[in-house]
Amino acid sequence: MRRRKKTGDATGLDGIVTFFSSHHALHAEEVLKKTGLRTALVPGPREISPNCGVALRFQWEEKKRVESLFAENRIQYERVIFLPVA
Amino acid sequence: MRGRYFDNAATSWPKPSAVQREMGRYLRRIGGNPGRSGHFRSVEAGKTILRTRTAIAEFFGACDPERMVFTKNATEALNTVIKGILKAGDHAVCTSMEHNSVMRPLSELREKGVSFDVVEANAAGIIDPAALLCALRPDTKLIVVTHASNVTGAINDIEKVVRGARERGVCVLVDAAQSAGVVPIDVEKTGIDFLAFSGHKGLLGPQGTGALYIGNGLLLSPLITGGTGSLSDREIQPEFFPDRYESGTPNTVGIAGLYRGVCHIRDLGLDKVLEHDGRLLEILLNELSTEKRVKCYGPLKRGKQTGVLSLNIEGLSPSEVGGILDAEYGIQSRIGLHCAPRAHRTIGTFPDGTVRLSWGVFTKERDALFTARAIRRICHRGE
Repeated sequence: MRRRKKTGDATGLDGIVTFFSSHHALHAEEVLKKTGLRTALVPGPREISPNCGVALRFQWEEKKRVESLFAENRIQYERVIFLPVA
Repeated sequence: MRGRYFDNAATSWPKPSAVQREMGRYLRRIGGNPGRSGHFRSVEAGKTILRTRTAIAEFFGACDPERMVFTKNATEALNTVIKGILKAGDHAVCTSMEHNSVMRPLSELREKGVSFDVVEANAAGIIDPAALLCALRPDTKLIVVTHASNVTGAINDIEKVVRGARERGVCVLVDAAQSAGVVPIDVEKTGIDFLAFSGHKGLLGPQGTGALYIGNGLLLSPLITGGTGSLSDREIQPEFFPDRYESGTPNTVGIAGLYRGVCHIRDLGLDKVLEHDGRLLEILLNELSTEKRVKCYGPLKRGKQTGVLSLNIEGLSPSEVGGILDAEYGIQSRIGLHCAPRAHRTIGTFPDGTVRLSWGVFTKERDALFTARAIRRICHRGE
């Protein structure tokens, strides 16, 4: 059987963005990847958000850049928080 | 022999092989429910939809892909706007060339206190934008206008309609079922408020796909409410795009295929599509011009219409002609009223309708020639 891919490698990505809609999360991933930022889609942590099933991890030190990229591309998001990978 | 397909205005056939491959690939390799979970299959399904959404948004000049929402067809998209914007006491204006996918929802709303006026097109099915704008009243909320008629193929001047409507603060809903993938459309440049279209006609996607573009700053009541995979702790419909208008599991396999259809048309170029449609129209018109018994309807000029030709043979009903074309020549046309009775009144072919020939990017010149000659032969039967 073909090995199933993991959603993404989140090692060292200590920031997390949650979204209202998975469309926004996937669009955001595409935008961040295009600019060369390290990012990974992960299952949305329920304790943080009851919204869509996916969240996006990124490096916390890139927070400002991530936020401005979202503004530039008119991507709606719910929250950006510091949450090191357990 | 499978014959010659001349019913592309109903749905295009064949589809590019890439469309079929993409749908197979989606079913074999992905198959999850998009936007519902964080696992591989759900995320990949979501990405499949995002890819199509982005490609369609780019194709129609929409900056914000999330404002391009998927529907099951153009009818659902048209219903979403008409029923989502018009409330009791509101007035709407449409044209006599509208399909029943516009006329029926408007008529239904009349029962609920919405009024509307129908502006007559000319005998070729072309609408005068000035006449349309003249029908506006202070309480007019919406103009519904077909971009290209499904009966005559006549292409309307949408830019003029939108410009005039903007000055008067009225929203415009463009029915692009026949023009999407044939005539260039740029929603942002033109300032179109709502664009409704199907994915299975000019865009070469599978049936069960359609979309609605909702302009910036516009919010409608959704036609259908339900699960979206978002705001799951609440029992009210979300307000954000695209979830507000996409309740329930979407036709992900169809949307996967639609991506390849849009790519095919984009790579081919709309100038080529229009040129091809025009060339086939001229072949048909040239062959039929000497036939006194054949009457053609529409602008009958290349560049002025999509790949559609409505005609009748004097002394024969459309169903007789359509029956002979199918049974004796293997030509699949569409006969009758084409779900647009008012349009047939306008061109003077109600209640019998016409024989409608409609071609597409895969129709060959020799198919057009063969079909024209078949019609000529039908004219001379029994001589």
